[in-house]
Amino acid sequence: MTGLTIAIAFAASCVTFACPLLLASLGETVVERGGILNLGIEGAMLIGAFSGFLGAYFTGVLWVGLLTAMIGGIASVLLFGVLVVRFNLDQVVSGLAINLLASGVALYFLRVAFPGGGYPHLNFLFQPFAVPLLSQIPVVGPIVFNQPGFFYLAIVLVPIVFYLIYRTTFGLRLRSVGEDPRIASYVGINVSRIRYTSLVLEGALVGLAGAFVTLSQFNTFDTRLTTGLGFIAVSIVILGRWNPAGALIGSLIFGSTEALSFWGTAFLTGPQASSLAQLLTILPYVTTLVALVVGGRMSKGPSALGAPYAKE
Amino acid sequence: MGQETQAQTQTSASPALAPAPTPSSATAPDAAQPLSRGILSRSRLRSIYKAAISILLALVVTSVLFIITGANPLVAYYYMFYGAFGNTSFLIETLVRMSPILFVSLGLGIAFKCKVWNIGAEGQLYIGAFLGAETAIFLGNSPLALPASIVLAILGGMGWAAIPALMKTQLGINEVITTFLMNFVAIDLVTWFVSYPFRSTTADFPQSATIPASAMLPILIPHTRFHLGIAIALLAALPLVYFLMAKTTFGYKLRVVGENPEAAKYGGINVKKTIFLALIISGALAGLAGLFEVEGIQFSVMTSLSPGYGYTGIAVALLGGNNPIGILLSSFFLAGIYNGSVNVSIQLGQPSGIVSFIQGVLIIFVLGSEYIMRFLERKGVFKR
Amino acid sequence: MPLFNFFLVESTAKNQPIGDSMAVEDTVKEDKTQVSVSMANPNYAIYVEGITKTYSNGLVANNNVTFGVLKGEVHALLGENGAGKTTLMKILSGCLSPDTGSIFVDGKKVHIDDAMKAVKLGIGMVHQHLSLIPSFTVTENVALSIPLPGRLKLDIIREKIIAVSKNLGLEIDPDTKIEQLPVGLRQRVEIIRLLCQDVNILVLDEPTSVLTPLEVDELFRIVRGLKEKGKSVIIITHKVKEALAVSDRITIMRLGKVVRTLNASNTNERELASLVVEGFVPSTNGTKGQPGELALIVKGLNVKGNSGRLAVKGVDFLVRSGEILGIAGVAGNGQKELVEALTGLRKTESGTSIMKCCNLANRPPQFIIKKGVSYITEDKMKRGVILNLSISDNLALKCIEQEPYSKNMIVNQRKVESRAQDLIKRFDIKASDPCANVSSLSGGNIQKLMVARELSNGSILIIAEQPTAGLDVKASEAIHTKLLELRAKGVAVLLFSADLDEIVKLSDRIAVMYDGRIVGEFLSGSLDMQRLAKMMLGSTT
Repeated sequence: MTGLTIAIAFAASCVTFACPLLLASLGETVVERGGILNLGIEGAMLIGAFSGFLGAYFTGVLWVGLLTAMIGGIASVLLFGVLVVRFNLDQVVSGLAINLLASGVALYFLRVAFPGGGYPHLNFLFQPFAVPLLSQIPVVGPIVFNQPGFFYLAIVLVPIVFYLIYRTTFGLRLRSVGEDPRIASYVGINVSRIRYTSLVLEGALVGLAGAFVTLSQFNTFDTRLTTGLGFIAVSIVILGRWNPAGALIGSLIFGSTEALSFWGTAFLTGPQASSLAQLLTILPYVTTLVALVVGGRMSKGPSALGAPYAKE
Repeated sequence: MGQETQAQTQTSASPALAPAPTPSSATAPDAAQPLSRGILSRSRLRSIYKAAISILLALVVTSVLFIITGANPLVAYYYMFYGAFGNTSFLIETLVRMSPILFVSLGLGIAFKCKVWNIGAEGQLYIGAFLGAETAIFLGNSPLALPASIVLAILGGMGWAAIPALMKTQLGINEVITTFLMNFVAIDLVTWFVSYPFRSTTADFPQSATIPASAMLPILIPHTRFHLGIAIALLAALPLVYFLMAKTTFGYKLRVVGENPEAAKYGGINVKKTIFLALIISGALAGLAGLFEVEGIQFSVMTSLSPGYGYTGIAVALLGGNNPIGILLSSFFLAGIYNGSVNVSIQLGQPSGIVSFIQGVLIIFVLGSEYIMRFLERKGVFKR
Repeated sequence: MPLFNFFLVESTAKNQPIGDSMAVEDTVKEDKTQVSVSMANPNYAIYVEGITKTYSNGLVANNNVTFGVLKGEVHALLGENGAGKTTLMKILSGCLSPDTGSIFVDGKKVHIDDAMKAVKLGIGMVHQHLSLIPSFTVTENVALSIPLPGRLKLDIIREKIIAVSKNLGLEIDPDTKIEQLPVGLRQRVEIIRLLCQDVNILVLDEPTSVLTPLEVDELFRIVRGLKEKGKSVIIITHKVKEALAVSDRITIMRLGKVVRTLNASNTNERELASLVVEGFVPSTNGTKGQPGELALIVKGLNVKGNSGRLAVKGVDFLVRSGEILGIAGVAGNGQKELVEALTGLRKTESGTSIMKCCNLANRPPQFIIKKGVSYITEDKMKRGVILNLSISDNLALKCIEQEPYSKNMIVNQRKVESRAQDLIKRFDIKASDPCANVSSLSGGNIQKLMVARELSNGSILIIAEQPTAGLDVKASEAIHTKLLELRAKGVAVLLFSADLDEIVKLSDRIAVMYDGRIVGEFLSGSLDMQRLAKMMLGSTT
């Protein structure tokens, strides 16, 4: 009984941890399909988490937090977008700059907002929402159908993003821009407009991912909460072959490793428990690296991914 | 007709087209015209302007932070400048701060020159420091401790960089992602090592044992923390990297691979080998940076070994244009920002985060400086 | 066989004494054929006036250009490489914007801001480097340029493609991926795409450069069909013969200016040739080489293409020193993969490539370069030069590791630079300073720089891919002369060119490549152009 309860709780936690990864990797899938490699997603997620927390904390309304998180995410990603689309700067380095900038902003304004020091807490959160009937299904119910609303949104977004990429005119243009922006512009496609659109979409999704961390998963803000998530999301996009369905599978796998490292102390017993539990913190990163070695080799992304493109 | 004469010149010159140009024909006296290029050539002057503009703009943007918190930016920058360069002891402390940044960024300059984005210097620094320090602790108070620790720190940094290097060259996996993720692995691993298997029995906080006295770097200026490592950075690492990049075939290959890997392959350059070497050399220098922090300043490996020198190195290498001299100047500048910000925090109660913020803004302006420069040239602020 | 006539005449024309064309210049009389043009004339489908375009590097590509195209005519824009034809057409199709000048469509003044706008005005362009996404299907590529927001309605597009292609008698499968189509069909897809957009003026930029003679005839048949449907077609070409064969009127451009517009029926090849190239052009005649010992023996070479399928299938051939072997064939029949395998840039599945008892197959490029193989690549911008490095660094690319340019890994910068000075002079590269970046050079000078590097390192085998791409007639002649001189010195040359004239002119032997195989070989003395043309399309009879 207890064993099963723990297993179910753990499985549910895996799904929960997968949620921000899924939201972020869906957004990254869209922009990478358009040929942009946004490593600034790490910083954007941090800003999303931070601005979401601030919005909720100071208004006392969670939904406002959601909105400010999306605004923060969009602003961060758009700043990156201006650098790489308008000014055609190196995408990798611009992404790194955004990450440094974001951590500076978060560290600085955290103390501006809460000068006392320590970590402020929210006493309200987006609680898991039990889907009527479905959550009553044994085992599966509590794992999948008793999750925060973010999770259902992310799941619904998988087919929507798929449809967007493969079944709409926008998607066709997006993919053509990712394959060869020069050719796309020759046939009359406004490359910049397509790319900005995809970036705004990503910003909103990444902002939501950040908000999930501070408004549902944890009830506090710390710059370390989202650390590494953005880069793992980028890896998920590669491993998922730039396909939303792949992003779903990848997010669940990496969510599980995160859950495992988070739950380490609960599972381990004996004299070495705390030692091993601490060692488990490297698990998500090592898993990602191993997965890249195993599966990253064969994947071929959009032809123009990360390549500079200047209008003639 | 002008064009016709050209055609004739071509034909008349063609007998010189011997299949094998002998050394003597290549050094024909008329061909070896002296080229007027001073130390401050126009292009060099231009890149100095670009760096200066980037710094200026970064400081202007950062002053927004001060204004938001009600501080006068000019006062803040005064305290920043004072804390960095205001008196001899502050200046020496800035040099102390510069040492690890210089080591890291010299290495990153090599990697970036061939467009390998090693952002894993932070992890390479931790691993090198840990391996080197534990070697010294293992050897105890023997004259071998210092040299052996240096070798192991180099190997540690190299080895840690070799993993993403192999993933890049053998499997084609983007090094940005792998080097970055390996930072977490390295820091968490070292944290675990000094928390459990290698934890000091006497310290309250997780940290390694203290290194033996023989491995501590001698202090060169009495009553300061100016240690031998700084001299090694300035007098050995810097000239060596300069020589490597400017005067050797390896430096040439770095440039070609960085600018056009396809052409490098076509021209008979082993691209994978060049990338691999660039990455592990940068790892080696990062490892040294970490070791000298332990052996010159901290004397045991702590979890807070580096405040992000690995990332600062990125900004420094870019600001310095991947040129060793530029890197020297910009690492001095960023060391000043580090120490100056501490002073700003003390004097004005400013929160932390300024350093990361300035670095981020700085990178953006460095990247965009070519645009800004062209804009200014169009407006006639600078001569073209 | 009227199909081949056009081709035969061209090759004989090349052998005419040059003095004739000089004489022609004098016989060109008053411009009786010039049609008086006026923008008010409603018969003009498009009329441009006073177009000037200067690129950011200072090159004046178009200088006060004025010309017009009538409704339902085929109009050839004739001129050398760099005459400004493509720039002008890019302006018409919205890919570039002019500095000054006006454009009139159907007598109305218009501004063409982008390609979409051009298409709305009924102007569409088929670029020289085709603008199709290779990994997309025909339908998807057509859908890209037809604005139907929201759900992707591929069925509608597919029907339209089928309707348009039937109307013109052009067969195409709408669901094939572009990468699986031969070049000739890709071009057809581009034309169909423009017709699906209801374009009235079609601009074809050097459409024949990648086609075999038979495919050229097919293309011209399509062009005449378009004309019958009332469309105007502008063909950009540098081949006088083709301009005469297909067009109603011909506008000649030189150095960014319009020289003259003539009716095709009132002019002839000589007159046009003398207008295209000003002055006397020395032409090297196809002299014979003196083949010596075997330089390269290729046996049973199998090479995979990017798609993973075999692109080179059991190729055998040999090249002797002092001989030029030309490889003719339509682009995309395995030439690129063959060259890359020979130069070590691509893995070989099986087979050997032996040079002086040493198998070069699957050796790295550095090894093959040391053995004495030079390679003038077709991808000069992507592969042949490093744009952001200096001219002297670029010229040192393949010899930096040799003495005296470096010793014990230490570079001798003085030697590197003096060598650069020397080559700049000998190959007439127009450069201010060997320390200037290659990006400051014009395309033609970049080509010369690459050729200079490859022809000056004492190689025993030169693999030349499109060695005169982007060069005007004079510079091309200079490079031909150099190749022939090297041959006379006993160098073996393997020549790949899309320009059949170039192959015929230089080669001692010509091998034909089709579908990854060598399907036939000719001695230059006993060349049967009709058979060659057929072989290039895979016909064995």
